[in-house]
Amino acid sequence: MSANNEPNIVAFLCNWCSYAGADLAGTSRMQYPSNINVIRVMCTGRVNPLYVVNALQQGADGVLVSGCHPGDCHYMEGNYFARRRLGMLKDLLEYVGVDPRRFHMSWVSASEGHKWKEVVEKTVEDAREAGPFEGFRRRQIDW
Amino acid sequence: MDLDKLRETAAEVAARDDVKYLIGWEKGSYGYRVAPAFAEDADGTADMIFSPLCTANLATYLTLVEKLPLPRGQEPDNRKVALMVKGCDSRAVAQLLVEKGIHRDEVVVIGCPCPGMVDPALLSEKYPETEEIAELKWSDDGFIIVRNGEETAVPREELLAEKCRLCRYPNPVVSDIMLDEPVESWEPAEDEEVTEIEGKEVEGRWDYWQQEFSNCIRCYSCRNVCPLCYCQDCILDRINPSWVFRSVNFSENTAFNIARAFHLAGRCIECGECERVCPANIPLGKINRKLAREVRDKYGFEPGLDPESEPFQASYKPDDPEDFIL
Ligand code: SF4
Ligand code: SF4
Ligand code: SF4
Repeated sequence: MSANNEPNIVAFLCNWCSYAGADLAGTSRMQYPSNINVIRVMCTGRVNPLYVVNALQQGADGVLVSGCHPGDCHYMEGNYFARRRLGMLKDLLEYVGVDPRRFHMSWVSASEGHKWKEVVEKTVEDAREAGPFEGFRRRQIDW
Repeated sequence: MDLDKLRETAAEVAARDDVKYLIGWEKGSYGYRVAPAFAEDADGTADMIFSPLCTANLATYLTLVEKLPLPRGQEPDNRKVALMVKGCDSRAVAQLLVEKGIHRDEVVVIGCPCPGMVDPALLSEKYPETEEIAELKWSDDGFIIVRNGEETAVPREELLAEKCRLCRYPNPVVSDIMLDEPVESWEPAEDEEVTEIEGKEVEGRWDYWQQEFSNCIRCYSCRNVCPLCYCQDCILDRINPSWVFRSVNFSENTAFNIARAFHLAGRCIECGECERVCPANIPLGKINRKLAREVRDKYGFEPGLDPESEPFQASYKPDDPEDFIL
């Protein structure tokens, strides 16, 4: 959480759907919270669940992974794998006591600029409610 | 179980030309200790045992063995490895087959139907260890401890290991040779410990696990003993990129424990070895069983049963649950 008490969010977006969707939201001049730090990956199936853990360790208060709707994956099935793995990760994080509001996953297609806006708003709002996640930080944080 | 039959069978298998060595259990040097035994020929099997103290999962040795590159001109030794398995150990073998960590023609599996093991920690707490070698036997409704020539009968519930109370597969699921008739499975106990943690508030769970993880000394015994932790290039040993720092503190310990548990999600066959060897007494079983429960309830999958099945994390169903997705 930065000095002005705004949550830091790390978002992993797939190149083909969600990144384009976020782009669309931008080019359509939609207003949405700027707390989100986007990392573009080629596919959600490429998101190692430990990226999420690592982001939380390194200063994120919330993490979002977003990709194509099931059936629309550019690589046919990457998002199905991601859904299974990250679903398990979500259960595990909850079980060890990480607030479930800190990790979200969403499907946002390239044409869903408005949905992207809603997803970001929800993610930021949730992370703000959950508060700063100091308990899990690495000692040196390079933000 | 008839020990003579066990030794006879073991001797036969160890003497086979196509078997490199046989892995079984034998008495340790004192007290309740039981050690793994490696027999390269029939002689080596003379002292092998199967008793309620044989908790160790021998399937670990299938993947623990170091496979060094061969010197030029030397032929690889393609003989099989024979090993004795309980129900849970056989599931580790099945899961290794699924993952192609081993191949079916590389192993000879000797199945030991298992009436349940004792909890070694509980046992030495209640019936202190002796310098003399002590023995344990199964009776009809419990265990018999033989210490200093005296026999003590103990009811089953008193000493049964936790993993065995919860056990659903006491009979080996893969085997080439069975040493005995299958045992009658018992009704597995409800896993109340996991339910209890699930029932806590988020903060309560965090505090509980921070308390536990803060004891972790990062010895990685839990990884090394696990039959299914056998990556040659483990993320924990990696320096660049460094997934988990080596420093021992809250953050890294938690990240390490999350990583370990996650890497075993849908793979852990609940043999309880990680928890048994942990010098810090971290209840790792409670994490493993939670994930196993999710995998079973939500995805209808159980690892280590069918050697032909797909690995859980490398497969998917189009209708996997997605209620958590925004
Ligand atoms: S978990 Fe089952 S198979 Fe394994 S030792 Fe216990 S009773 Fe035997
Ligand atoms: S065995 Fe226990 S103390 Fe050692 S690394 Fe594993 S959890 Fe930590
Ligand atoms: S994680 Fe523990 S209980 Fe699961 S297979 Fe490995 S050693 Fe056995």
